[in-house]
Amino acid sequence: MFNLPPPDILFQLSLNGALGGAMYGVAAVGLSLIFGTMRLIFLAQGAMIILAAYFVRALFYGLGIDPFLSLLIVVPVGLGVGWLIYQGLFRKAAAEEDRNVSLLIAVGLMFLVQNLMTVVWGGNTAGVVTSYTASGIELFGVRTSFTRSMGFLIALAGTGLVMLFLRKTIVGKAVRAASEDMDSAMLMGISPHRVNAIAFAIGIALAGAAGVAVATTFPFNPFAGFIFSLKALVALALGGIGNVTGALAGGILLGLIEAYVQYFISGGWTNAIAYGVFLLVLMFKPEGLFSRPYKKA
Amino acid sequence: MSRALQWIAIVVVAALALLPFLPGAVDAYYFSFLFFVFLYAVMAQSWNLVAGYGGQISLGSHAFFGLGAYTTAILWSGNYLWGSLYDAYPGIYYFDPVTMLLGGLVAALAAVLIGLPLLSKLHGDYFALGTLGFGEIVKVLFVNGGDFTGGAFGIVAPASSFDTLRPHYWVGLGLMVGTALAIRALMRSRYGLALIAVRDDEMAASANGIDILKVKVAAFAGSAFIAGVAGSLYTYYIFHVGPDSVFHLDWMLLPLMMTVVGGTGTLLGPILGALVMYAVFDLARIVVPDYHPVISGLTIILAMLFLPKGLTRLGVMRRLKSA
Amino acid sequence: MANRLLEVSDLEVAYGDVGALWGVSLHVDPGTIVAIVGANGAGKTTLLRTVSGLLKPKAGDIRLAGDSLVGKAPQEIARMGIAHVPEGRGLFRQMTVLENLELGAFQPKARSRTRELLDKAYTLFPRLKERAHQKAGSLSGGEQQMLAIARATMSEPSLLILDEPSLGLSPLVVQQMFALIQTLHRQGVTILLVEQNIHQALKVAGYAFVLQTGSLAMHGTGAELLADPEIQKAYMGVLE
Repeated sequence: MFNLPPPDILFQLSLNGALGGAMYGVAAVGLSLIFGTMRLIFLAQGAMIILAAYFVRALFYGLGIDPFLSLLIVVPVGLGVGWLIYQGLFRKAAAEEDRNVSLLIAVGLMFLVQNLMTVVWGGNTAGVVTSYTASGIELFGVRTSFTRSMGFLIALAGTGLVMLFLRKTIVGKAVRAASEDMDSAMLMGISPHRVNAIAFAIGIALAGAAGVAVATTFPFNPFAGFIFSLKALVALALGGIGNVTGALAGGILLGLIEAYVQYFISGGWTNAIAYGVFLLVLMFKPEGLFSRPYKKA
Repeated sequence: MSRALQWIAIVVVAALALLPFLPGAVDAYYFSFLFFVFLYAVMAQSWNLVAGYGGQISLGSHAFFGLGAYTTAILWSGNYLWGSLYDAYPGIYYFDPVTMLLGGLVAALAAVLIGLPLLSKLHGDYFALGTLGFGEIVKVLFVNGGDFTGGAFGIVAPASSFDTLRPHYWVGLGLMVGTALAIRALMRSRYGLALIAVRDDEMAASANGIDILKVKVAAFAGSAFIAGVAGSLYTYYIFHVGPDSVFHLDWMLLPLMMTVVGGTGTLLGPILGALVMYAVFDLARIVVPDYHPVISGLTIILAMLFLPKGLTRLGVMRRLKSA
Repeated sequence: MANRLLEVSDLEVAYGDVGALWGVSLHVDPGTIVAIVGANGAGKTTLLRTVSGLLKPKAGDIRLAGDSLVGKAPQEIARMGIAHVPEGRGLFRQMTVLENLELGAFQPKARSRTRELLDKAYTLFPRLKERAHQKAGSLSGGEQQMLAIARATMSEPSLLILDEPSLGLSPLVVQQMFALIQTLHRQGVTILLVEQNIHQALKVAGYAFVLQTGSLAMHGTGAELLADPEIQKAYMGVLE
């Protein structure tokens, strides 16, 4: 059907795919947390990522703050914004357990953020160009983009920190417990609002980190976020909904699929094939590709 | 529905039907406004059938809308059906009910094909995600469809016969009223009871001998049929059907929003929601053109924060219903 | 009634078609085991879920040591001293045994003493110590029920609520379960127990209430009810 390319090209392809996919992964980790406790598909996640990218750009061109250094500002701000978004917008709907309402608030927020960005920064494609934007580094004998590699590192570090929080702290354990069974968690004295707010805070902080990665690697526009949300959803499903490391792995896998489809078939089919894989996984392995088969007694 | 509400509905529909005879009405702004309210109300009913009454949140309405729109555009531009009729009476023979029906059927068929595997395997959010993925796949298929679908540009229909919006208006009104009446009849039938039973408690419904999958797929297909017919009507209005226009997510998100704002699982909710939300959007577009999507986003959030149960469950409506 | 730990008065709950309650009143005194027995769908689980705040009552009052629980969220009620082991155990199956126990001591007053409480729980349930790092879902049914009870005791509750602890367990494990309930009772834990295994429940309970289709049919000491011919006819016949 097609000729296999030489190994170095194949490797280059895989590396680029994996590095790019890590960005979907980090968005998916945020979605996974929010979905876990609230059972909400937070469709505005992509818009929040682009908002963070614009913020990073403003910090760079306005105050001369290096995009990677701005992580120190963007992540804490993201935590605070996430907390506020939950308390202001979702708390009431979560209390009434009306999932349609939460979903629609997320959609409304997406519209609002997208269009606020258009009003403030215009609808054109923007980007961040630094002295190192075009520079490359050698990784495993293959040249690749420095910023993409940094994005990958940010994704790894972000997911790692979240994992540590979830596994090692009692509050993190409470978040996991609430994701598994909210009723039982409440019987332990865990407040749903508290874990929901924490999930949102971390989710938006991760969107901030992803925003830094996006700003430094891709040109973006206010409406690019929705596709990002969809890709993050695919990554989430591939990794298994509610599985944090799986979400990152799912993102990387999606990046690989996209890179291969683009090379071997055509760029026009990447989305269809990515969503096709998504549907198949949802139907035949809804617990995700990376979870060990777990017998439900 | 109470007797009072029935009379109000009949009077309103009659007034709307007679409106095009009012001098100047056809050229007035509110005329096309009403056409779009009808169109969105039909789409909202479609979503309400599967999600409100059926309890299955579908995020794929735009795919069925687009399928209906493309079916119509392909049949129409290719003269596949009674092409001679178009040629012979271009001014008279404009809306083709058979084409519209086929638009709906193609969408319904797609819904059955995708619904059988999805609904037998996926529940709740997984089903919602699956339909979202399905919508994106259909869109890519049409972008890559070559000459048959016109690729990324789409298909332009023969526009020669267009001279007035009146037929669109009446067809739209007819569809809105017809859909509402059909759903009302449906929900009073055995099938409607089964649908509600499945929504409220699948286990109990199944224990009572209801074939859950059949009921769900039927609701999904019915919803798709309505969306397909609405897409067909849109083709007759817009002439140019392209993947980015008819498969736009707005065709899913806006009807969903309108239904929830109006009141999910109610007959009048989708219509009321379509009227109010489209009015807000359109007003914002006219008054603050630069900010209108911001206002739309804000409206949704505010509506959900303060009116989470929808307009039809407000006190005024309740009193009318019980009157 | 100052000495009543739990006081339920004229409780009415609407809950779907099954399990509604119509004007139920009962009470639990400190240091006792109280059983609620009755057939399937009599409203036993509904009653417990209302006490712990998972369901909202339509009317009536529930007081814990004099403080009303009505309108309070489940997590607040848990912090006030009620530990509820729900039907089906409500374990976090994907988390380890140790994590489940730690979450049992999530509330502030217990959290600072997690170590000490953990040691205490392990003394009572040595099996759980061996399995500390296994996932809760991988335990056997009996071990899962032990874990659920151990987790509930981690908060040192003033009232321990057990919903069908013997459900799905083998007869031998059921024996162990009831022995354990008596051990906890001797240690001073107040227990409200719902059981379909009426014979066993009445044997361990100091006092019992019989629920029938949402209302109170009878109440008395465990021994009285065990000897009651009507109870024997209605409930025990099927068990022997």
